[in-house]
Amino acid sequence: MSSRRSRSRRSSNSSRITEEQIVELVSKLQDLLPEARSRNSERVSASRVLQDTCNYIRDLQQEVDDLSERLADLLATTDMTSAQAAIIRSLLM
Amino acid sequence: MEAESSTSNQQRKRKRSASETSEKPKQSTWRTDKEHRLYSSKLLEALRRVRSGSGSPRTDPPRSRAVREAADRALAISARGRTRWSRAILSSRSIKLKSNRIRVPCPARPKRTELERIQSADQEKKKSVVLQSKAKVLGRLVPGCKKLSFPTLLDEASDYIKALEMQVKAMSALTEILSMIGGGTEVAPGMAQEGVSSTGAGTSTSTGTDSMPPPA
Repeated sequence: MSSRRSRSRRSSNSSRITEEQIVELVSKLQDLLPEARSRNSERVSASRVLQDTCNYIRDLQQEVDDLSERLADLLATTDMTSAQAAIIRSLLM
Repeated sequence: MEAESSTSNQQRKRKRSASETSEKPKQSTWRTDKEHRLYSSKLLEALRRVRSGSGSPRTDPPRSRAVREAADRALAISARGRTRWSRAILSSRSIKLKSNRIRVPCPARPKRTELERIQSADQEKKKSVVLQSKAKVLGRLVPGCKKLSFPTLLDEASDYIKALEMQVKAMSALTEILSMIGGGTEVAPGMAQEGVSSTGAGTSTSTGTDSMPPPA
């Protein structure tokens, strides 16, 4: 119900967002973070959640970068025929 | 293969509806197996193109960037136009000059809002300004989200996080497979310990090189 309410509120007060809306969104975000597993019931401050979110996104992007680099190296040394690609694809699935 | 052509059709349809229903929570799909499979497939194809595209020597820095961009683009396409960050990735990729826009958290900027923080005496306003400065940082991290309203930004961020997690998972799996298949002895020792769940591909297509230590 509160999601319905927040959606209509979003369209009417685009500049002023309610505290309650923030809390709801932030708690939703908090559940996504890896820290949520250890700290689940506790309500952390919104700014802490945002900070953790930023850090987490940065970490993930860094991880993707590292993986890209490794993949780049691997691709350079590997000669992939289409048959091998098919095998790889089936392994990925 | 069929999945890819149908998703490109869906992409067109979804783009229209995405602008109307961008608030609808379609975020749960990133964690499904199906999505993982679709993405892995696209990723593989994209990477093959990267490989055949450049004939330059192996440890070329642009190459890892090319891989990153291909992976991001495949990820964005998998989003099927539902989210702003994915559309931003797809539209910005064509202008390669701006490829740095994606991940530049400028520590200098928040000082401006710090001034605002000092100026406003009101407690509640103070709190929302602090949040705003953090939200700005967040907006810079997520592609295409610099000027969004707070709720939309959080929505985009949560979808982006889920997508990134899937991307990491898929790329790790691919890395593991490639390291087992390709080159036989060219296995990087630390790779299996990256927390990648084994795809059960230990039944080797390779020559049985056991140089990979078991996952800790």
